[in-house]
Amino acid sequence: MNSFVDLLISLPELFLVLTAMGMMVAGVYTSAGKAYTLISNAAVLSLFGAIGLVLFAKTGTTLAFNDLFINDGFAQYIKIILLLAAALVILIGDRAVRKIKIAHFEYPILIIFATIGMMLMVSANDLMSLYVGLELQSLALYVVAALNRDSLRSSEAGLKYFVLGALSSGMLLYGCSLIYGYAGTTSFTGLETAVAGASNISLGLLTGLVFLIVGLAFKVAAVPFHMWTPDVYEGAPTPVTAFFAAAPKVASMALFVRITMGPFQGMADQWQQIIIVLSILSMVLAALAAISQTNIKRLMAYSSIGHAGYALIGLGAGTKQGTTAILIYLAIYIVMVIGTFACILCMKRKGNSVEQINDLAGLGKSHPAIAAALLLFMFSMAGIPPLAGFFGKLYIFLAAIEAELYSLAVIGVLSSVVGSFYYLRIVKVMYFDNLSDELDSVTGKRISVIISLCALTILLFFLSPSLLVDSASTAASVLFEK
Amino acid sequence: MMVQAIAFYVFAGVTIASAAMVIGSRNPVHSVLFLILAFFNSAGLFVLMGAEFLAMTLVIVYVGAVAVLFLFVVMMLDINFVKLRQGFLQYLPIGGLIGLVLIVELLMVVSGWVVSPAGLKTAAINSQAIDGVSNTLALGRLIYTEYVYLFQASGLILLIAMLGAIVLTLRQREGVKRQRITDQLDRKPEDSVEIIDVKTGSGV
Amino acid sequence: METLAVFLPLLGAILAGLFGFVLRDRGAVLVTSSLLTISAVLSWVLFYDVIWGTGPRTVHLLNWVSVDKFIFNWALLIDQLTVVMLVVVTTVSSVVHWYSIGYMHHDKSIPRFFAYLSFFTFFMLMLVTSDNLIQMFFGWEGVGLCSYLLIGFWFDKPSANAAAIKAFVVNRVGDFGYALGIFGVFVLFGTIQLDDIFLAASSKAEAKIIFLGIEFHAITVLCLLLFIGAMGKSAQLGLHTWLPDAMEGPTPVSALIHAATMVTAGVFMVCRLSPLFEYSETALAVVAVVGASTAFFAATVGLTQNDIKRVIAYSTCSQLGYMFFAAGLSAYGAAMFHLFTHAFFKALLFLGSGCVIHAMSDEQDMRKMGGIRKLVPITYIYMWIGSLALAGIGIPGLGGFAGFHSKDIILESAWAADSIFGYYSFWLGLIAALMTAFYSWRLLFLTFHGQARCDERTLAHVHESPAIMWVPLLVLAAGAVVAGYLGHTVFAGGGDQMRSFWGDALFMLPTHTALENAHKVPLWVKVSPLAAGLMGISIAYIFYIQNNKLPSNCAARFKPLYEISYNKWYFDELYDRIFVKPAFVIGRYLWKSGDGAVIDRLGPDGLAMVTLRFSRLVSILQTGYVYHYAFAMLIGLVGLVSWYVFSEFLR
Repeated sequence: MNSFVDLLISLPELFLVLTAMGMMVAGVYTSAGKAYTLISNAAVLSLFGAIGLVLFAKTGTTLAFNDLFINDGFAQYIKIILLLAAALVILIGDRAVRKIKIAHFEYPILIIFATIGMMLMVSANDLMSLYVGLELQSLALYVVAALNRDSLRSSEAGLKYFVLGALSSGMLLYGCSLIYGYAGTTSFTGLETAVAGASNISLGLLTGLVFLIVGLAFKVAAVPFHMWTPDVYEGAPTPVTAFFAAAPKVASMALFVRITMGPFQGMADQWQQIIIVLSILSMVLAALAAISQTNIKRLMAYSSIGHAGYALIGLGAGTKQGTTAILIYLAIYIVMVIGTFACILCMKRKGNSVEQINDLAGLGKSHPAIAAALLLFMFSMAGIPPLAGFFGKLYIFLAAIEAELYSLAVIGVLSSVVGSFYYLRIVKVMYFDNLSDELDSVTGKRISVIISLCALTILLFFLSPSLLVDSASTAASVLFEK
Repeated sequence: MMVQAIAFYVFAGVTIASAAMVIGSRNPVHSVLFLILAFFNSAGLFVLMGAEFLAMTLVIVYVGAVAVLFLFVVMMLDINFVKLRQGFLQYLPIGGLIGLVLIVELLMVVSGWVVSPAGLKTAAINSQAIDGVSNTLALGRLIYTEYVYLFQASGLILLIAMLGAIVLTLRQREGVKRQRITDQLDRKPEDSVEIIDVKTGSGV
Repeated sequence: METLAVFLPLLGAILAGLFGFVLRDRGAVLVTSSLLTISAVLSWVLFYDVIWGTGPRTVHLLNWVSVDKFIFNWALLIDQLTVVMLVVVTTVSSVVHWYSIGYMHHDKSIPRFFAYLSFFTFFMLMLVTSDNLIQMFFGWEGVGLCSYLLIGFWFDKPSANAAAIKAFVVNRVGDFGYALGIFGVFVLFGTIQLDDIFLAASSKAEAKIIFLGIEFHAITVLCLLLFIGAMGKSAQLGLHTWLPDAMEGPTPVSALIHAATMVTAGVFMVCRLSPLFEYSETALAVVAVVGASTAFFAATVGLTQNDIKRVIAYSTCSQLGYMFFAAGLSAYGAAMFHLFTHAFFKALLFLGSGCVIHAMSDEQDMRKMGGIRKLVPITYIYMWIGSLALAGIGIPGLGGFAGFHSKDIILESAWAADSIFGYYSFWLGLIAALMTAFYSWRLLFLTFHGQARCDERTLAHVHESPAIMWVPLLVLAAGAVVAGYLGHTVFAGGGDQMRSFWGDALFMLPTHTALENAHKVPLWVKVSPLAAGLMGISIAYIFYIQNNKLPSNCAARFKPLYEISYNKWYFDELYDRIFVKPAFVIGRYLWKSGDGAVIDRLGPDGLAMVTLRFSRLVSILQTGYVYHYAFAMLIGLVGLVSWYVFSEFLR
């Protein structure tokens, strides 16, 4: 056991942990006025540094820390998305965070810790490391959700998320213990051999898996474990909501993939049924419920539920193609979500942020650039070609068709038709409704740059989809090379 | 063996009974006390299994710190628990039904228990008692070698918990006078004392 | 060169249509007209080159579709038949372009008009140059579209819109047949390349096609389907009703599309597919009978119409009938010959009548004209030349106006066909010739002779057209005078001369000798068309110059006949009763009770309602209480666990 090698394998995580701790110290010793600026810049830099470390890390699958930790192409792909999302969220939230007076230097540090938790999740190779990573992530998220302590709704959001999260953690742990009890091991490698070797799947193991999946379904906000999402998204400060919608979703979905396609590959017939049910429920309910929303953050909450449903289709397919489709979908989703939230963060009237859909009225005339970007994001989420969102859905549905899940694909397409209603409603409000009180003009160069980058990515994705598709399929193939 | 068995059933029975009382009793202080009782009995169960370190930790950490903290909170915050419970009966039937279904299902699951041979094997390897090594030492060896990763990650979780508690509760109020030692030490006579020539007969 | 000739009009159309705001009226007009004139010159060069030079060829442009055996390309087939059409189309089109500069100069959207004209020309050229049925269909539909656009050019006139729609819809009926024909050809031959079809035609001569359990002669079915398409486009009896209404469009359009080019596409198609039609006696007979009947029917209607353009429109219809029965009797050369000459004199007549209308301040009713021959001498001469050519006047043995040669050869072929269909065609054609002469001179006399019947302001305003209008007509007038004389031996003369002219473009079975024997018919047959023409002119003279009362007396005496003729044999009323009204009734029923009550209520509206209701329900469930949420999660968990436990239990 060479512990130095272990440290090298987990270098990006280690780097982030150390810098985060350093930042905590630095934050304390900096005067209150400057601390946030300093720490948030340092946080973004260290996140980008971690991206560099991930990118230049050794490729190939390596295990570390007594096989508790795994680093492979799949984990690297997801980690890059996560780190990028975290960095962008800190950047776009900058002004809003100051405005609502939550500019504590701890905010970026908590975001980093949450990101570290997610990275541990996707690198988990054992039920225990899975749980530890998950809790690390969740705890940081509970705190940031309640960060605006002067706002009743923010505190409420944090509390709700905490209580329900604890419940889901309980279920997950219960599932883990059942699995341990029936399989005799917590290691993914061990579980895989246990599952593959079993002549018939014991009901106990299956029940354990169901509990485990329920715990994860809570994290990705799949119906019926989604109830917290709208309230938390609405209550949490908007920059935090952006983070919620982006990174944890991706991490939990990746963990979902890691578990189902890894140790429980041999039980695919069983878990596929749950995944398909969750997927259908999520897509349909999200599409229907979003229609009657008036708050754009709630709307995004339902939208994220729906997107989770679509991603689960790929999982339901249970094939390599399906996994590739999920990875593509997640990457595109992140870009759309961050772009959309950047636009939402720009919605201010007389300095105060507004978040009703009706407040967007007339945006097409008053702020043509933002409106055009938001239009792109909405079209892309609705899946209108040739925007990136269309391809995301396309690969997912193709995977479902290949796996002969025709009814699932059809339901997916139908619900995305219904779903396009509420995306297009935003476009309609922006361009065809009469101007309400004009919103403030956009301030901040960073946010404008990020919005335009996201919009361009969405718009021009079709020129060279292979860039993403190739890396996604390489990442996915890792899970299937055995 | 007989004594052990009796002790097990006593501890287990009391644990379950007091757990039920935690959620059943009307007085929240009683609930916390029942919780402490449950912890003690669980510690007893650990001792029966030969895990004396875990038993001690349970007593020290949970009883000594957590439960006492609970007790303080319950007594300090004057929460009207009766009001909180009002909806309880309303949801009891359906909640009870769901609980019942879950219990029945879990029983069915457990009734089909077959300990996997592989599991038995690994358990046998791991639980071999090593002569002359105490429970604490063995745990320590494991935690700081094989499971150092989990140990450190748990440490991170605790760090976040601390950080979160500070962020969410620490307030720097404006206008509060506070002692700053450095400021006091840095003071120079020029800053605080001014010598003014006062003409005789007139005020300052 | 071939490519240039075909695509220059498209270039013009694009320039005028998309950049009209840059070019302005003048620029658009000059660009389109010049490009078309260049195209016309190139066509004449091609004409010479193909017939007396290097011969037929195919120019491959682009690959279009390649699906298994369904392969065809964009290509230009330049053979004798094509170059004849090229010459006709581009020449008439360029004359019409120049003429329109004068005719349309008051109009508000001149670039649009010229873009349409050039666009139409391009499609017409695509149609005639195609080497496969699909490309031909592309041109076919394209000219239909342009025809629609041009008939409805003055779209603020409701009648123009109605006429445009009518033309489009009636053509759709024909196009349906044509499309079915193409499908059938593909089924039978496995290709839609013309040369492949023609090669295989003789081997499939006896092929059968089984439909609904009944066996049909395959080629007959195909030819009839294709002929339905031709009937629609060429306004043959039954599908002719759109043509007179199409006169709502500007007069140059009538001259170009509804006289000289597009309406002859049907004739062209039958001639082009002659190798196919030759193998079906039945189809040929149908073509002949329909053609002859149309010639007769349209002539009778033409007798009584009062709108100057409608008279000419019915005369067009009637002349197309001649071409069809010529084709139906295997005298394809004669049909093409008449097509060629007809293009000149009919365009001349239309444009001449355009001059008249122009002079009369947009008056089209002949009853309100009269006595203006001194005021518009050039137009008067043009109309005379056109009418003489149309009536087929000439001196036997020496030569005459264009129609004299082409119509005579058709009637002679009809006689020489020596079959029941031949005689039917001959006699109907002869009577139609008499009536043609009559209404042509009726038109001349009513318009130019006698007393002026218009109001004084109009009369004071009557003036000769500007040079830009009458100079281009010289080309057509020349064609109307000499085209017949120059062409009668090469186009439709018997023997080697004709065969060397047409090459392989037209195909006649050796047993089909109508055209060959046309030159050996008795003298009275040769003279009879001329006699009929002269007789018609004399009757017209008696009716409208000598005795002004006679027409109304006759109309009163033979009231039923007059009514039938005047009301166009009640075709419009009949169609209205049979097709239009029931269609409206069915449509309304389906709309109200089918679409509205069933599909909308169960479909879009109903779904939207259900969705909305469900959406509200979900919002209500979202109570905001943590324990509700926790409850929902538990229920979900229990549901999933139960699913497995019970499925396991049942197993």
